[in-house]
Amino acid sequence: MPTDASHRDRCAVAGIGATDYSRNSGRSDLTLAVQATLAACADAGLDPQQIDGIVRSDMDTVRPNDLAHALGIPELTFWGETGPGGTAPPAMLGLAVGAILSGQATTVLCFRELNGRSGRRYGLGAGGAELVGGGGTYDEFFVPNGLTTPGQIFALMAQRHAHEFGTQPEHLGRIALACRERANANPAAQMHDRTLTMADYLASRPIAEPLRLFDFCLETDGAAAVIVTSTERARDLRRPPVLIRAVAQASIPDPQPGVQFPVLLRESITSLPAQAVARTLYRRAGLGPEDVDVAQLYDCFTITVLMQLEDWGFCKKGEGGPFVESGAIDAGGALPINTGGGHLSEGYIHGMNHVLEGVRQIRGESTSQVPGAENCLVTATPLPPGSALILGKA
Amino acid sequence: MPPTPVTDDLDTAGFFAAAARGRLAVCRCARCDTVLHAPVGYCRACGAFDVTWTEVAPTGRVYSYSVVTHQVHPDFPTPYTLLLIELDDLPQVRLVGRIDGRADVHVGRSVVAEFPPADEAPLADEALALPAWRLA
Repeated sequence: MPTDASHRDRCAVAGIGATDYSRNSGRSDLTLAVQATLAACADAGLDPQQIDGIVRSDMDTVRPNDLAHALGIPELTFWGETGPGGTAPPAMLGLAVGAILSGQATTVLCFRELNGRSGRRYGLGAGGAELVGGGGTYDEFFVPNGLTTPGQIFALMAQRHAHEFGTQPEHLGRIALACRERANANPAAQMHDRTLTMADYLASRPIAEPLRLFDFCLETDGAAAVIVTSTERARDLRRPPVLIRAVAQASIPDPQPGVQFPVLLRESITSLPAQAVARTLYRRAGLGPEDVDVAQLYDCFTITVLMQLEDWGFCKKGEGGPFVESGAIDAGGALPINTGGGHLSEGYIHGMNHVLEGVRQIRGESTSQVPGAENCLVTATPLPPGSALILGKA
Repeated sequence: MPPTPVTDDLDTAGFFAAAARGRLAVCRCARCDTVLHAPVGYCRACGAFDVTWTEVAPTGRVYSYSVVTHQVHPDFPTPYTLLLIELDDLPQVRLVGRIDGRADVHVGRSVVAEFPPADEAPLADEALALPAWRLA
């Protein structure tokens, strides 16, 4: 009979790899995926041909057999897919853990690839389609009325959060600045060379009020990959294992059909499914918010972070604004976040670069290292049902 | 032209059929009356597969809003004001409205839906009519 702790610490991240993050990679999705995979294998000290499992996300284009073909992997014994999109990465590692502990694979690659700026731009949302909706998307209730992008959804959430709790633009600005300052320390970040002040933030042009330019994440070309194996096997590899303390997915009964727009029908739009993911994850890990030393919080928008700080129990509901104003999320604060710069300032690999940064924190190799970090929370709990994991020191 | 909604989805067509008659309707369980929005053909409360569309007053209040200033979709010139509306009759039902320009709105503001007369409906699909929300 499985228990909450059945997978606790039994699998580990053995290697991580990424491409450069840019606005125009000039490379195919497959080439990006191969590059990130090779980097992760080199980091782990593994030959790519030792990979026997691959997990992808539903919004990417590269299939497991495409990668197996490109890399010359002799035999895959497991593959899987989860999503939607940005909610996938921690859950992808969860699929890998399940495959490994059930004996279906030993060495599982989890990857994301996207030409998110030069190719398909998620931020365009419904785009220019002439006929919209149907098939359980419920887009027919939203898009014909001018609600067409993820940014507009989060603008409605931010406005409601401001109405209920008095959240101010400067609160969201603190999140943008924290991510930018971490990116300024990270040479791999797209915004490494560009500083941001609160005055810059407040002066940036509105996009969908109350959200402005710097509340939005970057659009990025790039790929990121991790190799998961058993903790026992990881101990024999090149790098010290980074333990997967626990992983969790959660959906909630409150309306969550479709991919994005129907979340506006939820009873409260100032909370995310993060609350449900948090309950399960903390229980499985045997940890609570007080045990989290550093967090990589999914930041498609600043308001997404603010709501997650509340939903994950780092502060009370509605107190996200004062919490960030206190400096808690900054370097040296109680809960440094998005230490590589996050989606707002490092790059938007749809949740996966957060997993890589979490591994760096546990290894002690982040460019904004939190001294003695033993537990790093990595979340992917934006719009629909979500997932998250906690990485820990062996 | 703004995007056209699919109006023949088996689970949501009732909304558009009512709109074509100048009425606002919501999906409910025919057996236990539970409101089903987003519309589905199965009632999670009582297990019935029998659902129906009932008319409600075309009035509501602003639950949240956003003035969109950055044009993304080619057919929605900015600025415009997006409204997330809760219906007066059934606050648990939310619909989206759009008002051209920067509307003078706040959370709680009353709004009302109007339906274009049939002779103004697009020629290509004269059955199509969407509720147009405006400040009450």
